[in-house]
Amino acid sequence: MNYLRLIALILIFSLSLIPTFPFTSQAYEDTQCFQCHTSAKKLIEATREIAESRPAVKSSETEGEG
Amino acid sequence: MEPLAPHEKIFVDSDIVDDENHGEIACHECHGGNPDDPNWKTAHKGVVKDPTYPDATAACGDCHDEISAHYQKSLHATLKPYKLIIAKRANPKAVISEKVAGAMSNHCYQCHSSCGQCHISRPDSVEGGFLNGHLFQKKPPMQAVCTACHGSRIQKEYFGEHEGAQPSVHRQKYMKCEKCHTGEEMHGDGKEYATRYEVEKGPKCADCHSQIYERDAENVISHRIHKGKASCHVCHAQPYNNCSSCHVGKDKKGIAFYKTKGSWFDFKIGLNPLKSDKRPEQFVTVRHNPVDRETFGFYVKDALSNFDVLPTWKLATPHNIRRKTPQNASCNACHGNASIFLQEKDVEKTERQANKGVIVPANLIPRKQKWQPK
Repeated sequence: MNYLRLIALILIFSLSLIPTFPFTSQAYEDTQCFQCHTSAKKLIEATREIAESRPAVKSSETEGEG
Repeated sequence: MEPLAPHEKIFVDSDIVDDENHGEIACHECHGGNPDDPNWKTAHKGVVKDPTYPDATAACGDCHDEISAHYQKSLHATLKPYKLIIAKRANPKAVISEKVAGAMSNHCYQCHSSCGQCHISRPDSVEGGFLNGHLFQKKPPMQAVCTACHGSRIQKEYFGEHEGAQPSVHRQKYMKCEKCHTGEEMHGDGKEYATRYEVEKGPKCADCHSQIYERDAENVISHRIHKGKASCHVCHAQPYNNCSSCHVGKDKKGIAFYKTKGSWFDFKIGLNPLKSDKRPEQFVTVRHNPVDRETFGFYVKDALSNFDVLPTWKLATPHNIRRKTPQNASCNACHGNASIFLQEKDVEKTERQANKGVIVPANLIPRKQKWQPK
């Protein structure tokens, strides 16, 4: 009987160690990618900086329907 | 379609972590880069914007193995029809055909799609941007994806945006592109097709309208008489857009551009240039496409020396179907009505040789009917 009780306790303890959500999603929410790309403020600042440094990619000579 | 603001294009909805299928995949697993670097400039070193183009197997293949393998040969990825058509018209001299290939790469091949550019973002050719904060879209939204690229013809036809034209009856029934153009057609079946008309899972009107030939069906006589002789569009399409004279080049800054001379609205029935078991009809609707002898003149002289081997009036399937149209109002709205058939006078002199196979000679224009079905 004591033997069975011990197995049950080990099982319950093991189950409590399983996280409620996967490791990966917890991990990537903490990444710099996620932190920045879910923040409109940070993206506005970054894209303004990019726009200033990059030339136009569309030619003004394009005419007519594509 | 208005492009998104730069920051909107790359804004990720934090709900993505709740996506039971994709929410466990970290950004860098598909896109690369350094997820621990707080400096966005250095963190993006090595980042792949679209990890599904040109090869989707690494990003999508673990779960969507068959689709990502087949997609490599789908028309949206290969653009095979463009390549074959230009190759047929191109000057066979290696020094010239290489320049044509370079021009195609700068211009024509910019219009393609990928898993990501249908299910995650708008296509690059319309300046991209996430569809819904990088949340995966099982069915690509029609206006942000499909008609964003297929705009000047399909969108305007389908939505009835041309002056005096009505929307497709299918649009009025709230049908979206995927109702006819299924995922199976879009993803491909692993075969490389020369034209979209050959794709096995491509749409067929009879898939939904098979009953039109049944004895008790409305207009059964007209449908049975014309079966295999005239395509559905001949009777049920409205006038549609035609384009001409596309020229490509690079401006002073080296940025690629195109110029088309203009477009016009027309409805022309021609001889079927792509007769097959699947499309056996003699008469089909034809549309002038934008190719020109000098399309690649900026890059090389005499680029399309075999211009006349293919017609410039192509088999067309206008997306503006109506049950009742001017040409099906009565038998003689079409029979004996030469103006709706593509005749020699409708084709520019310089293109008559190329179009001799689609121009309808006077003796083939159906004669006026005395008898009318009840």
